[in-house]
Amino acid sequence: MKKIVFIAIVAILFTACSENTKKTGENAEQATEATEATDIEEIAVVDFEKAAASFVGKEVKIKGIVDHVCKHGGKKLLLVGDGASLHAYAEERIDEEVVGSEIILAGIVEEKRIDEATCLQMEEDCMNSHKEGVKTDDEMEATKHQVEFYRDSMKTAGVEHLSFYSVKYVSHEIVEQKKLEE
Amino acid sequence: MQMKHIRKWARILHRDLGFFFFASSLIFGVSGIALNHLNDWDPNYVVKSNFYETNYNFAQRDSTSIYINLFLTEINEIDNYKTHAFLAGNRLKIYLSGGSSVLIDLLTNNADVELLKKRGFFYDINYLHYNPHVWWMWFSDFFAASLIFFALSSLVMVRGRKGFWGRGAIYVALGVLIPKIILHFF
Repeated sequence: MKKIVFIAIVAILFTACSENTKKTGENAEQATEATEATDIEEIAVVDFEKAAASFVGKEVKIKGIVDHVCKHGGKKLLLVGDGASLHAYAEERIDEEVVGSEIILAGIVEEKRIDEATCLQMEEDCMNSHKEGVKTDDEMEATKHQVEFYRDSMKTAGVEHLSFYSVKYVSHEIVEQKKLEE
Repeated sequence: MQMKHIRKWARILHRDLGFFFFASSLIFGVSGIALNHLNDWDPNYVVKSNFYETNYNFAQRDSTSIYINLFLTEINEIDNYKTHAFLAGNRLKIYLSGGSSVLIDLLTNNADVELLKKRGFFYDINYLHYNPHVWWMWFSDFFAASLIFFALSSLVMVRGRKGFWGRGAIYVALGVLIPKIILHFF
């Protein structure tokens, strides 16, 4: 019996030790994938908003600093740089250790369009949710303001729809850290 | 199959699965309580915040690095420096290792320092609670299925006054009633 308990403990310790090695291996794999894809265009976070329209559905590399990884699912990250920011969404959990690192993110640009039909749909959904008691008065007001903002923005810009861009995460590589000047 | 056999196997499986899921029960139980109270505390980190008024002109881009170096040396965080970035709204953020950071208002040069220290045990169990990997998902599905089995097997495990047909039914009714009341009133 003692032998069985001993073997079980050794097995648990072995698994715990190999876990760290595996995590490092996965990161290295992600980094290699990104390095292999060399023919993909690289842009800075600050240029993303302007360039995004021409990259919808295509893979790009974006250089920036990871400001935040969603604590809940670990599948959303916020990339920042020179006053700009963008969201990237992953299917797998992203290691939280990457926060504060400069990375080159490889991902596919996605577009979310908001037009008058979307606004009407949002209003209808909101009314229904409010009737069913799912949304509070405050939440309904917030949605109304949001829709109003979308309509005003479209009117001001003289366009029929607004585009919001995000990136579907594919892989990343960490850029070597620069030293501070003394 | 006779009731006697069902009762016997219910007890055996309830006991052995109970042993097997000893750690999982603690992981999901303790992290469940921890995550239920997100409004009251940060279950993953101990957060220490400090505010500093500085005279460094961080907005002067050719000297930002030098000023960051001086400031971090002053607050003994220079070894934790990772990188820095200018953010929207005239802010500069200095990223330190372990998720800690310094947020600087470039108009006043005041700095909000947020130092994080992982709550080792809680961090790990909360990480598992958020379903980090497909293998853990299958394992926790098995655990969840076992919880269903624990509930059903408890109905037949004990006979007599102490079993389901005795006081057990009262407890079960109370357990059903409480979520019903919550759903009705909230």
